[in-house]
Amino acid sequence: MRMHKWLFALSTVCALYSTATLAADPIKIGEINPFSGPLAKYGLELSRGHELAIDEINAKGGLLGRKVEMITGDATNPQQAIATVDQLANRDKVNLFSGTYMSPVSAAASDAAQRYNLLYWETIATAQELTERGLPNFVRTGPNAASYAIEAVAAINNLIAGAYGKKPGDLKIWIEHEDLSFGTSIADTLKTLLEKEGVKPIGVSAHSFKAIDLNDTVLRIKQGNPDLLIEIGYVPDGNLLLRNLRSQGYKIPGIMYLVTGDAPETLEAVGADALEGLLVVSYPRTNLPNTFSPGGDHYLAAYRAKYKQEPAATLGMTAYAGMQMLFDAVTAANSTDPDKVRAAAAKMDKPLGSYPGGYGVKFDSNFQNTRALPVVVQWQSGVPVTVFPKEAASAGVALKNFPRR
Amino acid sequence: MSSISGISNGSPAATDMQRLRRAAVHEPFGRIVGKYLFGLSLALVPFGLLFNDYYSINILTFVYLMAGLACAWNIIGGFGGQFSLAHGVFFAAGAYIPAQFYLKYGVSPWLTAPAAAAVVATAAVLISWPTFRLRGPFFAIATMALNEVAAVLANYSDSLTGGARGLLIPFKASFSHMIFVERWKYCALMFAFMALTLAVVVVIRQSRLGYYLLAVREDEDSARASGVNVLAVKLWGMGISAALTSVGGTLFAMFIRFLDPPTLLSLPDIGVKFALLSLIGGIGTVWGPVLGAFFIIPAENFIRASLGGLPGAHLVVLGLLLMLAALFLKKGIVGAAAALWRRVRATP
Amino acid sequence: MENLFTILFIGLWLGGIYGLVSIGLTLIFGVIRITNFAHGEVLMVGMYGTYLAYSWLGLNPYLAVVVVVPVMFVFGVLIQRVLMQPLLDEPLMQMFASFGLLMFLQNLVLMLTRGASLGIPSSGRADNLSIAGINLSLGHVLAFVASTVIVIALHFFLRHTMMGKAIRAVTQDKRAAATMGINVNRIYRLTFGLGTAITGVASVFLTPIYTLSPSIGGDFVLAAFAVVVLGGMGSIWGAYFAGLIIGVTEAAAGFYIDPALKSAVWFLIFIIVLIVRPSGLLGTVGAEEVGLREQH
Repeated sequence: MRMHKWLFALSTVCALYSTATLAADPIKIGEINPFSGPLAKYGLELSRGHELAIDEINAKGGLLGRKVEMITGDATNPQQAIATVDQLANRDKVNLFSGTYMSPVSAAASDAAQRYNLLYWETIATAQELTERGLPNFVRTGPNAASYAIEAVAAINNLIAGAYGKKPGDLKIWIEHEDLSFGTSIADTLKTLLEKEGVKPIGVSAHSFKAIDLNDTVLRIKQGNPDLLIEIGYVPDGNLLLRNLRSQGYKIPGIMYLVTGDAPETLEAVGADALEGLLVVSYPRTNLPNTFSPGGDHYLAAYRAKYKQEPAATLGMTAYAGMQMLFDAVTAANSTDPDKVRAAAAKMDKPLGSYPGGYGVKFDSNFQNTRALPVVVQWQSGVPVTVFPKEAASAGVALKNFPRR
Repeated sequence: MSSISGISNGSPAATDMQRLRRAAVHEPFGRIVGKYLFGLSLALVPFGLLFNDYYSINILTFVYLMAGLACAWNIIGGFGGQFSLAHGVFFAAGAYIPAQFYLKYGVSPWLTAPAAAAVVATAAVLISWPTFRLRGPFFAIATMALNEVAAVLANYSDSLTGGARGLLIPFKASFSHMIFVERWKYCALMFAFMALTLAVVVVIRQSRLGYYLLAVREDEDSARASGVNVLAVKLWGMGISAALTSVGGTLFAMFIRFLDPPTLLSLPDIGVKFALLSLIGGIGTVWGPVLGAFFIIPAENFIRASLGGLPGAHLVVLGLLLMLAALFLKKGIVGAAAALWRRVRATP
Repeated sequence: MENLFTILFIGLWLGGIYGLVSIGLTLIFGVIRITNFAHGEVLMVGMYGTYLAYSWLGLNPYLAVVVVVPVMFVFGVLIQRVLMQPLLDEPLMQMFASFGLLMFLQNLVLMLTRGASLGIPSSGRADNLSIAGINLSLGHVLAFVASTVIVIALHFFLRHTMMGKAIRAVTQDKRAAATMGINVNRIYRLTFGLGTAITGVASVFLTPIYTLSPSIGGDFVLAAFAVVVLGGMGSIWGAYFAGLIIGVTEAAAGFYIDPALKSAVWFLIFIIVLIVRPSGLLGTVGAEEVGLREQH
């Protein structure tokens, strides 16, 4: 009798052991980001989002039955991107790549990855050209520059015009942007989209994000006397513009910032009063209702548990969702081969609200996810509150103090 | 009294000059070629060893390219003693012009590289003509201002440079496109570039131009008093230096295939780097810039890799190195090695 | 017309900022003949120091002058003693050393702050002034006032105090000054310290206005060089007035031409000045040549 028990125990152990060895060949993801240099904290936050998704899927048994491993590669410019990709592909034998906080790095890295016929799954970098250059291994899940413009136009049509009591075409809009590729590409797209709707901006003006004074810009805007000012820039110039507006005593009825402007550093720099009513189109936050953004609270809890701090930037959750989309695509393709994954991705059709952040999945012919849109928040009493789209707004939330009279 | 331009008319001052020149630079032609080839073959050793290590080949590619660019800078910066911060502009122009001709008209970079080099050299001469009236730090500041203006303009003019969004050269491998599948081919190309610039440097060093450049560096006023046409010498040095830098820019463009103002015109990454490598290797020497590149670039990558998580740490180290080199290693690695060699030989 | 006045005022306060930042630079250059390319980083260090004084010691930024300025003075003396003094006769090496210092300081701050954006919280409404119908911010006006006060104080110091006269003696002829018993190296250290301390004042007045980043120094340094060159290397009144000129030019170019091109506009002016009249507005003709020649 006892022999049977031992045999049983032995065979169980053997069975367990063999399943363990089955999953021994991990799927390695090469993570390309600036991990050194001034943008390091954003690169780190991005990879944390990816890492949390990886932890999650490993806990559920892995991807295609295999454990997922992330191997990071630091790159702060195109040369480094190429070298890092070469290293990860040859030395570490990664199965695919993901990333990436800087668009130039993403461009060069994905191009280099193509030499090895490896997939480049982009979750954050926003430059239009990344999906428009026809690189056969590239997929982008997150919003691109145009997405911000699209969301801005949607907000103008469905939220802002009504608040002014005007038709969108009657709104006087001024577009101000920083003059590098980031601001310029979004501004150009925004202008085109607005004009297509019959809304001609009364002015489009550029400035250097490093400018030490924007008072002349403020004066120009004042001359144009817009109903709505749209600013696309980084934190330094965004803050400076608000400060200069305030020191000139110029109260524009409505201001909307794209991409930046919703972070604590802006609140600190300008003060809650000057920010009151400011709209910002940015990445979805973790406090959105579950009906719109399922799994957001799960991301937040996992982040706090693993890193013992609050998320440092909103892009983390978008990265997290993007990595989940990768897993779904790879599972559907049953492979990490770029052609197969892209084929499977092309067939994916998930409605908005399927992933944390409210994202869905539907790739266009350039493999840009068309169901990845930012949301609109409004600064209300020093707190950024999500106000648009309606489904993203919590119960009882409404536009306040907009436009300012 | 000898006339100002009476170098070769047999007057006393001129004969002194000729004698000095012969004494200073005369080396048997065979020895020069021998040293050149020996140095090149040493530089080739890592290529052979690291052929299959893709990461290292990438770094080596960059080492060769930067060595060539530093050698080019050294012609006017080291030999001529003119601290130019405008070389980033020549580099960027050498990248943009052939890239645009390739993208818009399909012209092979092999053809446009020399043409662009000629254009850039001419522009460099024209720009530096008035600027060379300035000395030392004033000249440096003026060239730094030029770099900034170029960056602003490059950002602004969409049609010329692709503006802020830059230019993306799609991957279509072929020799005539100067786009290669295998990394080692790029490495070989950069090596050829380095060999070319070194050859030019060696020739200049042995020539009258090299001698005059050194004289201008040592003491511009005395040189002028001895009858050297200081402005012409500086312009020649600048022109040749700019032409070579432009060619380096073309190679860089076809290697990285992503061009935008921050990548090409960043002073710390490009403009100052050429000078930095020359200094650490040995400014004003033939091999200094090469040694500087071989030392600094792998070191920089290594430090960045090991201190990776700490943003900026590797540049802290590089900055410290630069200060220490300026204080203690003025003759660079070459100078330190030469001093050591002399001491070794002197011990009985 | 109202626009013109506003632009003028904006230009003047901007010029005040430029003057503040450049006076220290021109003093150092005028006396010691050093081009300190790391000047922007010195300014940046002062700004972060002001922020620290605010966040660690709870000091109102403007009061932080009391702490920041002496520390910057010592910092300047150190730089001169350790880095510049050994290289006095080697201008090429000085340039390299100052670039090394630039990279070192910028990235040291990056390393220590990990790239976090820091800024002194703005006090909100209390900031605004309205003079003759033109709106200004208190911070800007204070910067302009500080700039004017400093240049006047410095002028008095150089003209009427023993130390100031010693500095001027060294500027004119260091050998003669040495024979008169002036310790030249000590004067150099004092001057570098003084120039850095003045830059410290600039940092204090700038910190409340901007969001700090390790590279913020670079935004000012090119303008500072343009001001110094336009005003005449070594002339503090030159720096003050050139600052105002460049400030007004920049504001006007930004408003009437295009904000995206404004830095190119005054850079071009700067290059033209360098070529046509390198000694600047108030500098002595030929000063740009003296820089490199050893004073025999």
